Amino acid sequence: MEVTDLNTVNIVLCGLGGQGILFMTKILAEYALKRGIPVLGAETHGMAQRGGSVVSHLRLGETRSSLVPAGKAGFLIALDPWEAYRSLPFLGERAVLCVNSPNGDFPTEEVKTYLLKHGISFFTADAGRIAGRMGAPLSTNLALLGVFSALPEISPFSHEGLGETVELVSPDRFREVNLKVFEAGFEEGKRH
Amino acid sequence: MKEEIFLGNGAIALGLLEAGCQVVTSYPGTPSSEILPEIIRLKELQGLNTYVEWSTNEKVALDNAFAAAITGKRACCCMKQVGLNVAADSLMSAAYLGITGGFVIISADDPGPHSSQTEQDTRFMARIAKVPVLDPSDPGEAREMAKLAFEISERFKIPVILRPAIRVCHARQSLSWGGLTNNEAKALFKKDPQRWAATPRFRFVLHRELNQKLRDIGALFDGLSSVNFHDMKEGAEYPIGIICGGVPYAVVRDILSEQARDDIPVLKLGAPYPFPRALADPFVERCRKVLVLEETDTLIEYLLGNRDKIMGRLSGNVPQEGELVPEVIVKTINRALQECGVKSLFAPDTGDAAELLKNIPLPVRRPTLCPGCPHRASFFSIRKGRAKTIFTSDIGCYTLGLNLGSVDTCLDMGAAITMASGFYHAYKQDGVDKSIVATIGDSTFFHSGTAGLLNAVYNGARFVLVILDNQITAMTGMQPTPGLGIKADGSKGVAIPLERVVKGCGIEFLEVVDPYDLKAMSRALKRASAYAADPDGGIGVVIARHPCVIAYRNRAIPNPRKPVVTDDCVSCGFCMERFECPALFKDEKVGHTMINEVLCSGCEVCVGVCPKGAIVIPKEEH
Repeated sequence: MEVTDLNTVNIVLCGLGGQGILFMTKILAEYALKRGIPVLGAETHGMAQRGGSVVSHLRLGETRSSLVPAGKAGFLIALDPWEAYRSLPFLGERAVLCVNSPNGDFPTEEVKTYLLKHGISFFTADAGRIAGRMGAPLSTNLALLGVFSALPEISPFSHEGLGETVELVSPDRFREVNLKVFEAGFEEGKRH
Repeated sequence: MKEEIFLGNGAIALGLLEAGCQVVTSYPGTPSSEILPEIIRLKELQGLNTYVEWSTNEKVALDNAFAAAITGKRACCCMKQVGLNVAADSLMSAAYLGITGGFVIISADDPGPHSSQTEQDTRFMARIAKVPVLDPSDPGEAREMAKLAFEISERFKIPVILRPAIRVCHARQSLSWGGLTNNEAKALFKKDPQRWAATPRFRFVLHRELNQKLRDIGALFDGLSSVNFHDMKEGAEYPIGIICGGVPYAVVRDILSEQARDDIPVLKLGAPYPFPRALADPFVERCRKVLVLEETDTLIEYLLGNRDKIMGRLSGNVPQEGELVPEVIVKTINRALQECGVKSLFAPDTGDAAELLKNIPLPVRRPTLCPGCPHRASFFSIRKGRAKTIFTSDIGCYTLGLNLGSVDTCLDMGAAITMASGFYHAYKQDGVDKSIVATIGDSTFFHSGTAGLLNAVYNGARFVLVILDNQITAMTGMQPTPGLGIKADGSKGVAIPLERVVKGCGIEFLEVVDPYDLKAMSRALKRASAYAADPDGGIGVVIARHPCVIAYRNRAIPNPRKPVVTDDCVSCGFCMERFECPALFKDEKVGHTMINEVLCSGCEVCVGVCPKGAIVIPKEEH
């Protein structure tokens, strides 16, 4: 018998050190906090932040352990397609996958078959290009979060609420541009 | 009270301040580095008068906090697990002496390891030193344990270690808090030289006192049901039980609760030493087999009275290296359940994902120095024309110089210098004058460079020492150094120029150079090498000074100009191998090396790297 805890929402965010994964995680976590959902997460600090693979875990609900177990993630947000592949084992059945794919070549045929077989819906966008268009090429993370916010079935998240959180947690001098990039990502995401 | 998401290290800081901790000292090291900055953030928010300092190293941090703790105050020092090795001398002695106030030592472990030289288990250091240790499972518990640690410390007049693992330190959790107040205890050191300066004769008496304290605390831990407890039903016996503490407890508890497996009892030991034998032994007695899941070593397993029933690392049931992540724990439990003929836990089958990944050529992501990093420029010059030189290096971002072929060794803090002198004498004994270049960061030099340099000068070693002075402790998250003269809370301290320290160590050859200027750096290195080889010479020291690009973006690169690669590029790969800037890549479409504009910092150093002169600054368009 399969026993699942329906109450916990498991999110994995991945990419490379320096891409702003911690900031994305912070936005999702603050979003949940605002709604009174208990938040537990795990981050990568130290040497791996210098360009290595970075994975961030976020668990919303009643849970004690900060790591998302393999096969249990409901959402995977990847700032790099290769890191998305690397994190595939985290994905559970019927999960949602949102990937920054600059060359538009994600996923491979084999991976596509795998995703379809497990009922995983996947969405890709060139988030770096969206951010670049808005004059903030380093804000790929916010562009991808914007794309994510446009996807169907991202409960408990919503586009409006995430936008408010971006506004809330952005440092003053980046608030305006962050929101602009986030909204541009949202517009792109809506086209899926 | 308000709800806020805390980093685990922030939760620890909160617990310390809630306990009225008045003095906090630390040396940064992943995963402990954020505890002190969080103390500062909270104390400033709440207007507390907590004394904080970045100490020059962990031993210094421990000694400073210890002194405060024998004036009757509550004090704490924070470090990573290998930092406790540096402070071990102080720790062992402090355990005997005891304290009059409260003294908590926080030593953060790094199972994995993610950012450390070893996977050592701080709980064993507690056992060696004979001090109690607490092992939290999550940030919320770490906060409570910080308070508990002070209670135990003050009641039994003994230092207490709190050992959070990386998954506690770098977890984030929502916690409610508010209303911190100052602890008004005043410093009062009562002279008692027989105790505080005890001779070996009295140390024997102190040892006897310490052993009595441990017996008393052990008895306390037997019944300390807030952290040491199990869920066995009255009178029941079980085919298998699990003993765990720390982070593995959180994982085990989650899995068993989710799957409603109350047929597997769990004994949690959040306070594993002194060992709560009267709690653990009966638990083991009522199980046919007992699986022990602990990080990172075998403390509980060793301390259990009867190991016949125990399935752990010693019996080969639990992996002896690496982090006990959820997947490993489920696998380990299921193997044990199978051995005992008990129904397995459900585990999502991710086998086909693993199979799929085997066919995807995943790039190996080695960490690299940031674009524009001054260390990269230094390493390029150091490596040039020195294929046979031995490059000793040290702990920090610049360990990544190994990607550029300019780092051959990394042992521990300060070993760039001590190993350089060691290599020198080992070769000199055979009549060989070996070329050796040591690299050490500014913060690491202040931490433990001077003792090695004094030794090297005194004993006549010859090598070139490059102090990579980026004016910050970068790897651990940008903490100030004594060279800067800025204190932990951002206030002004006394700056100690590296030049004065180096000269004070008896060094006669010292040049300060900006490594961005490759030619000047090369010339300085040549002069230093010549001085080291000269019969009347000695150790040649070069301070390569340029601010860290992350900490001081504008000062490091005041006028960024991004170079381009011309068609003169012959794709020899020299720049990517020896300079290894993340912005350089082979563009298959163009057919040669190119520069990624987004990643490029505009430092221009690569212009001087290309042997064909194919990297140029584009002429400004008018």
